[in-house]
Amino acid sequence: MRAAVRQFFDRNGVGLGLFMLLGVTFWILVLIVLPQLTMVDFSFRHNLPPARVGGPEDVYTLTNYEYFLRGHPGNPDGYNRVDLGVFQRTLVAAVFVTVLNFVFCYPFAYYLAQVATGAWARMLALGLVVPYWINEILRAFAFRVIFGDAGLINTTLKQVGLIEVSIDFIRADVALYAGLGYAYVLLMIFPLYSAIESLDRNQIEAARDMGSPWWRIHWRIVMPFAKPGIVSGCTMVFMLSAGALAAPQILGGPSSLWFTQIIYQSFFEYFNWQRGAAYAIILLASCMVIVLGLMRLFGVKMGEIGR
Amino acid sequence: MRGGILLRGFTGLYLFLFLTFLFGPLLIMVVTALNSSAFPRISPWDCLSFEWFVRLAGDERLQSGLLNSFAIGVAVVVVAVSLGLAGALFLTQIKPASRGVYYAVVTAPILMPGVVLGISTIIFWDRTAQLLGFSYGSLLYNGIFLTILGQSSFISSYCMLVMISRLQRFDTGQLEAALDLGATNMQAFRRVLLPFLKPAIVSAAVIAFLASFENYNTTVFTISHFHTFTTIISQKVRLGIDPSISAVAFVIIVLSVIGALFYEGFTRRGELKLQRRLPQGRGAFVRGLFVGNPATVMGVAVVIATVAGLWFALGHSADQCKADLLKQKLERQQELQQQFRRDTAPAAGAPSSTPGVRSPGQGTFGDVFSPGNLKGRQGDDAVPETPKSPGQGTFGDVFDPGNLRRPAEPDQQ
Repeated sequence: MRAAVRQFFDRNGVGLGLFMLLGVTFWILVLIVLPQLTMVDFSFRHNLPPARVGGPEDVYTLTNYEYFLRGHPGNPDGYNRVDLGVFQRTLVAAVFVTVLNFVFCYPFAYYLAQVATGAWARMLALGLVVPYWINEILRAFAFRVIFGDAGLINTTLKQVGLIEVSIDFIRADVALYAGLGYAYVLLMIFPLYSAIESLDRNQIEAARDMGSPWWRIHWRIVMPFAKPGIVSGCTMVFMLSAGALAAPQILGGPSSLWFTQIIYQSFFEYFNWQRGAAYAIILLASCMVIVLGLMRLFGVKMGEIGR
Repeated sequence: MRGGILLRGFTGLYLFLFLTFLFGPLLIMVVTALNSSAFPRISPWDCLSFEWFVRLAGDERLQSGLLNSFAIGVAVVVVAVSLGLAGALFLTQIKPASRGVYYAVVTAPILMPGVVLGISTIIFWDRTAQLLGFSYGSLLYNGIFLTILGQSSFISSYCMLVMISRLQRFDTGQLEAALDLGATNMQAFRRVLLPFLKPAIVSAAVIAFLASFENYNTTVFTISHFHTFTTIISQKVRLGIDPSISAVAFVIIVLSVIGALFYEGFTRRGELKLQRRLPQGRGAFVRGLFVGNPATVMGVAVVIATVAGLWFALGHSADQCKADLLKQKLERQQELQQQFRRDTAPAAGAPSSTPGVRSPGQGTFGDVFSPGNLKGRQGDDAVPETPKSPGQGTFGDVFDPGNLRRPAEPDQQ
């Protein structure tokens, strides 16, 4: 160990070596690992007033996790149907958004990587980046303007005379799905694009020459080749939409909370940070399980993601 | 090619739909900023007006939030670029066996929900402050300080990825040569590696600033009683939407488009230069920026359009148009009143004397409440031909059913 450290400093010099070591240590320990561990520790504690913190009552407990499953102790039902329901709905909706996003973005990524050329391709790529620079909140707001009660679609339909009473797109969660899908278009396209771009065009030509229809070319050649890109795009979109907060706050319907909103509420409405931390861990852990499970299912390794 | 035309048609249609989805929302939002109506909408169009920009310029809360966001952004750039650089360099130093684990740890924050990062940051520093006995007003409770740390935890990962992709193309022979020729480690780093990494550092800084500026999920937890641009915008949106938010979007979108076009233009120029295809001779610099470079041409066009728009806006007043609109509304109201009197006076023949289909519920307020109002009442020949906003009765559109629903929408969490 000491030899390794000495070798490290010999190779890089004291100044640069210290910069690297201190930087990486600060980042990994102080910004990533310790906060996560503290959050885990915190989630196993009671919600005590400050005066009693550190006192005899400040012991580890499973209360917060139990609450997620069973609700209040006096709950006759035995299950915390509200939180469990929201949790399940959030994950299913996030999967739905991811699949929708993939189906919508894949052709474009393919077009950009293999078909478009020259200035046109460059302008398309640039066009993808611009919406991503716009604030998340403003993107969600744009969908409010379109799907709202007095929004563009409703007023247009009324003027045409197709409907008399506004369609409640917000309540139907149409606005939310569209907004979430929109927010992560770039994160889906970029990994897909870089995976498909490295595919040798001759492979496609060869398959076509042998009479393969276009859908089989995609199914048997392009998609298997681009699998790491597909998985990493889907992973990002899934994680980000399951963890989204702004879009559900702005576009969410009255009857459908997003799980992050429950976390937000336990922090800022119930001032129960411990429960919020427990819920955050539940969200993080289940997203990780889903993602890792899918990666195993598709045979993609962690290292191939995020390249 | 079999079915070539069909396929091309489908591709064209798909591209059109995709680009509409991509830019439509932005375009609609931008246009609503120019409508004088109090609800952001395109149709019915009231008046071309720039009042929402004026209101924006006078919004002090937003400006202080903007200042905070800017300060946080600059600090995050400094922290995240340094940490990302250290992280990327460190990756080249460790053994391949442990590289996978290291890589997983430092890229994990990208995949973590921002909410989780925010919560873990605020809890960690809260406990640290308690442990170390810091008072409530101290730095460790300062929302801006915590936000910088919370955002840096994942933005550093972005920066690191940008630098790694450049480092992969670095020829370590250059570094060895410098060391062989007697340079110290620091000299070799500063004179060889750093200049090589400069483009990556610049793009990492830009990405870091933008990511910090638009971050909401982490910031909302760490900022405590301070405000940033995004938290203020989000409060505004949730409390009730009005076109001044569209005006914010307008400004940001125009700046983004200009920034993106010029960035692309300069990158393209660099490529042309490498290919030695830049024009030579007098005025070569200026021509080099524009020849074979549509991005800069469009960028300049957007800038000119913006300046022209500003110039027009300064001389434009929506007062006349608004007064006209008000007059129209008043006329329409009188018309309705007269009609109401005509309808109610001969009580017996009332139903038959009314042309068209009328809704039954005509009480004291005429038919202000009637749902048929929403259709703009095209069927009624007494109505002037101008498209009208819904529910125009005695009180403008106070009775518009949409009004009642708007504040009641339960997005105020």
